[in-house]
Amino acid sequence: MATNNIDYNVEKKIYYKILIGLLLLTAVTFIQPHLFLAGASFVPQMMIAVIKAYLIVIYYMHLKGEKLIISMVWFTLGLVIVFFIIIIGIDVANFQFGAESYITSAPHAN
Amino acid sequence: MSHEYVPEIATDREGNQHEVQGWQDDFYGGKLGFWLFMFTEVMMFGAMFLSLAYYNSLHPQEFIEASASLNRYLGGFNTVILLISALTMGLGLLKMRSGDIKGAKLMIWATILLALIFLGVKAVEWTAEYHHGVFLGLPAMQGGHEGSMPFGKILFFGMYFTMTGLHGFHIILGIGLMIWLLKRINAGKVSPEHHILHWNIALYWDIVHLIWVFVFPYYYMIGAGVSVATGGHHGH
Repeated sequence: MATNNIDYNVEKKIYYKILIGLLLLTAVTFIQPHLFLAGASFVPQMMIAVIKAYLIVIYYMHLKGEKLIISMVWFTLGLVIVFFIIIIGIDVANFQFGAESYITSAPHAN
Repeated sequence: MSHEYVPEIATDREGNQHEVQGWQDDFYGGKLGFWLFMFTEVMMFGAMFLSLAYYNSLHPQEFIEASASLNRYLGGFNTVILLISALTMGLGLLKMRSGDIKGAKLMIWATILLALIFLGVKAVEWTAEYHHGVFLGLPAMQGGHEGSMPFGKILFFGMYFTMTGLHGFHIILGIGLMIWLLKRINAGKVSPEHHILHWNIALYWDIVHLIWVFVFPYYYMIGAGVSVATGGHHGH
């Protein structure tokens, strides 16, 4: 198999470099509320997660140069978002029982 | 009614025709098929995250308060455990591809051990949450009566137990797959020349890790700023 033409030491170094990068990003995850946007951690936290996901997908999941699978990944993510917007988003926007629904208004919460 | 067997013919680059004996060596096909399975995982967890985001938009303050009450140090510890397990799994595959079968098996065992530690920490977390009255089915999580949590928190914790539970189930499945992989290696069915099973189980472990990369900050960290502002840690 062509996939066996590898240089173990070179590949191992890449794995360790990515691990260090992921550990540093995890540390940033913990430090972020102390440094900036303490009251609004959602956006910076998700941005850090996206960077970590990119490193995992490209290097650990070997998608570097895999054009077909990468385009399928984008297609799938797009499918989830589009279906969510079309099926759930539009439905929720026109939800006729919004005032009565426990989820949208939670009238008896607390 | 009988059907005549029609052999499938493949033509090589030189134009010679060969009868196809089997697709076991179709490495790219095996990999592509497994990616298709993983897309279904992405769609399942993706829909859950989008639902979570919708609930979050309805009850932003209660989500932040609920997140602040989780023990983010245990969550962070589990994040590091999964990170290292992704490395051991990847190194195991590298060792297999370079012919070091013993080393590959050692790395798979290391990954199994790390997965068990992850589950152990999760069990400690869930037990602590149960003793604080926060668990699926407990009175605090039943809405509409005195003593129940605010509805936003019920949604948050309902999704938290569902998603971390489903993720934990994937970890258990992963351990089972790794044990099966070890058996296949011992039987000589997975080797440096035929390692698609090892490749795909490593991919599976990476997607389990990938899901946690988003689960951890969404549940444990979005409320971290509250703890910082109040100068305390509210972990269960």
